[in-house]
Amino acid sequence: MKFNKVLFPALSVMLLLAACSGKDKENNEVETDSKNFNESGMPIVNETIKLDIFAGKSATTADDWNNVLILDEYEKMTNVDITWNQVPADGLQEKRNLALASGTLPDVFYAATIPVADIQKYGQQGTFIPLNDLIEKHAPNLSKILEEYPDIKKGLTFPDGNIYSFPTIYSPEFQSLLIGAKPWIKQDWLDQLGMKNPETTDELYAYLKAVKETDLNGNGKHDEVPLSSVSMTRILHWISGAYGIQNKGQLHTLIDTDLKSGELRFFPIADEYKEMLVYMNKLYTEGLIEQNIYSIDVPQYLANAAEELYGSTQFYNPIELFGEDIGKDYVVGNALEGPDGTKMYTGVTSPLRGMGNFVITDKNKFPAETVRWMDYFFSDEGALMFFMGIEGETYEQTANGPVLLDKITDSPDGLTMTQELAKYLINPGGNHPVMVTDDYFTGSENAATDKEATKVLEPYLIDEVWPSFTYTAKENDNMSILAADLGKYVTEMQAKFITGDTSFSKWDEYVKTIEKMGLEEYMKIEQGAYERYQK
Amino acid sequence: MNLNQAKSPKKLPVNSGFNKVRKNFLKNWQLYAFLLPALSYFIIFHYIPMYGVQIAFKNFIANKGIWGSPWIGFDHFTRFFDSYYFWRLIKNTLILSLYQLLLFPLPIILALSLNELKNGAFKKWAQTLTYAPHFISVVVVVGMIVIFLDPINGLVNQLIVLFGGEQIRFLDSPKWFRHIFVWSGVWQSLGWGSIIYLAALAGVNPELHEAAEIDGASRMQRILHINIPSILPTIVVLFILNIGSFMSVGFEKVLLMQNSLNLETSDVIQTYVYQAGLLEGQYGFAAAIGLFDSLINIALLITFNYVARKTSNNSLW
Repeated sequence: MKFNKVLFPALSVMLLLAACSGKDKENNEVETDSKNFNESGMPIVNETIKLDIFAGKSATTADDWNNVLILDEYEKMTNVDITWNQVPADGLQEKRNLALASGTLPDVFYAATIPVADIQKYGQQGTFIPLNDLIEKHAPNLSKILEEYPDIKKGLTFPDGNIYSFPTIYSPEFQSLLIGAKPWIKQDWLDQLGMKNPETTDELYAYLKAVKETDLNGNGKHDEVPLSSVSMTRILHWISGAYGIQNKGQLHTLIDTDLKSGELRFFPIADEYKEMLVYMNKLYTEGLIEQNIYSIDVPQYLANAAEELYGSTQFYNPIELFGEDIGKDYVVGNALEGPDGTKMYTGVTSPLRGMGNFVITDKNKFPAETVRWMDYFFSDEGALMFFMGIEGETYEQTANGPVLLDKITDSPDGLTMTQELAKYLINPGGNHPVMVTDDYFTGSENAATDKEATKVLEPYLIDEVWPSFTYTAKENDNMSILAADLGKYVTEMQAKFITGDTSFSKWDEYVKTIEKMGLEEYMKIEQGAYERYQK
Repeated sequence: MNLNQAKSPKKLPVNSGFNKVRKNFLKNWQLYAFLLPALSYFIIFHYIPMYGVQIAFKNFIANKGIWGSPWIGFDHFTRFFDSYYFWRLIKNTLILSLYQLLLFPLPIILALSLNELKNGAFKKWAQTLTYAPHFISVVVVVGMIVIFLDPINGLVNQLIVLFGGEQIRFLDSPKWFRHIFVWSGVWQSLGWGSIIYLAALAGVNPELHEAAEIDGASRMQRILHINIPSILPTIVVLFILNIGSFMSVGFEKVLLMQNSLNLETSDVIQTYVYQAGLLEGQYGFAAAIGLFDSLINIALLITFNYVARKTSNNSLW
């Protein structure tokens, strides 16, 4: 009996712990307190309400969002007091998954890049609430955008008819942003070599070869890297168009349509894809591509760029990244023409850029208020505040529209514009659930050189860019496994073929393995999703 | 009737056994009190969380909780066994583990050699020098590996080129991964691992050595016939303990050294669990793989313990 007395404290501790982790299931009603809530105008609520937000934070934004000018100001406007729990982009995926699995949910997941499959899964399970009615009633600004661009609405709606999230939208008119990172080529080296800006894959090869063999930066060493980027995927965004690969945009890494038949295809087993790999293999094995492209990180890339090592690259605006001195020599690279005459630029994303950047959980007691809170940033006024800050404090109105103040563009503390802006805004950087237009955007895609570069690429952009497809619950179960396995295998083999670790004589084996991994089932599901998308 | 009959013969010994326990407990309750913190630590942090293992057999749905999620039997296991990556994962994990296990004698050799050093100052210096890498965190070690092995600017490759060789992309190649992984591990843990053997060697009766010396035994003979047999029990116990974590290769380090080019040899069960569980959020599936991994470890531990007990009378239990 004494034994029990000893065990009792231990047992009670156990039970207590179990009880703590098991509760919190009470508030399921989606109801608004009509007295406190204002259907329109500001503030959103008369008496302050509190929200708890899980937010993905990109490295460029302020460390503590609870202390950022526009968010403080917006809190005063709305009476919605938000506790921002920022999670650095680095560990975002795991922290988000842990939060979703633990049951201790925030009211909102903001900029958390939840994959489409997960939105579907947690939406179905009731963790994320459907927003259709709420958007209709309380989000006039987003509703207007969805009406204006039915494609975006279609892409955002799941097969069960529900919308679970506020999306990140890139304005379909803002091509420079839809392309994002662009190919750049070093004009002064072209001049020194007496070459013109390459238009075909062969000309590109000739240029890269010449860079490799000539000491163009004049330091006596052959340390020039003809073509670099921060990942092979980015380089392929430039090259794949010449082979007609990935011709439905960046968001689809395994499927596109066959250019001849127009049928849906799994492109990593297409002949054109193999041809592209052969070409890339040639570039890589001859040392024309950054040799540690598979392990390079951004700081290392920037360090190399600062030493003037890169003959061409595929990344964001060189002037912004490498500084005026080195960056000014780069001009945009052309969309390339492939051996069979295909010429397109496929490194472009759908205007429905991200779907998982604003979802409301079933724990949220104020869904209507939350929707109104978010919707403001989809209005013109709200977007101006989100991207430019507060008039008089960060920008001023001029005849040409709003312009950032000198203290921001030319920081007294010697900071870059992005660093200076971080004190006032939570942009640039991050996956914010907003509509990005070129009116207020302060990122490098809005720079003059980038806009000019866009003009060069624009004629060759693919005409149809797919958003992420959505699946039914049943499809989703199989899809997450199939896509993960196939994606992993394709990525791995792509690297091996390009670097020459696996010879092309193994190609048939590679195709067979993919078929064995459930290609048929995968394509059946994608076909269904594609047909739904076309409707 | 039957019931009573069956009960009565058993009842007595049970009761007296319990009384004995009770008496013993009352007499030494202070000692048990000392045990309590450790015991509750294990219960709270190692046994209670185990109830979560059931999600390996469940279709885990977050807002229904672990208890509320529906049972699906062995689906997660079959999915893993049928997976394209199954054999590769098993193979990589086994090879890495075996490779590490084969190097198990290295710390023993180091300890034996250090033990023979007669110059006290040099011995201390050598010991400190070999311990030092143990205190460097894994992240830093991998950072150092990356810097030293960089194909262009790395020290190692510069040396290779200096002597007329070809640059080697160490970290991007599947065939180098295992060697780099295991030998950097040896560098890091060799000195630390030798401590326990040094302690055991310190306990060897000096009279044995004196007697052997008088009989004309050489140094080598004394090591072989006195030192090694004396520390054999320690070696066996540590070996069995090592076997218990046979399938758990240093997960963080593998993950940090992994990239899409060396996956062929660097993809191990634990990184796969991390990827499926934390990155893709498939907790049930990841739990199933983890459970499978642990079961292998337990089976190996029990087997080796049994073998050791039968053959050398040294064992954990």
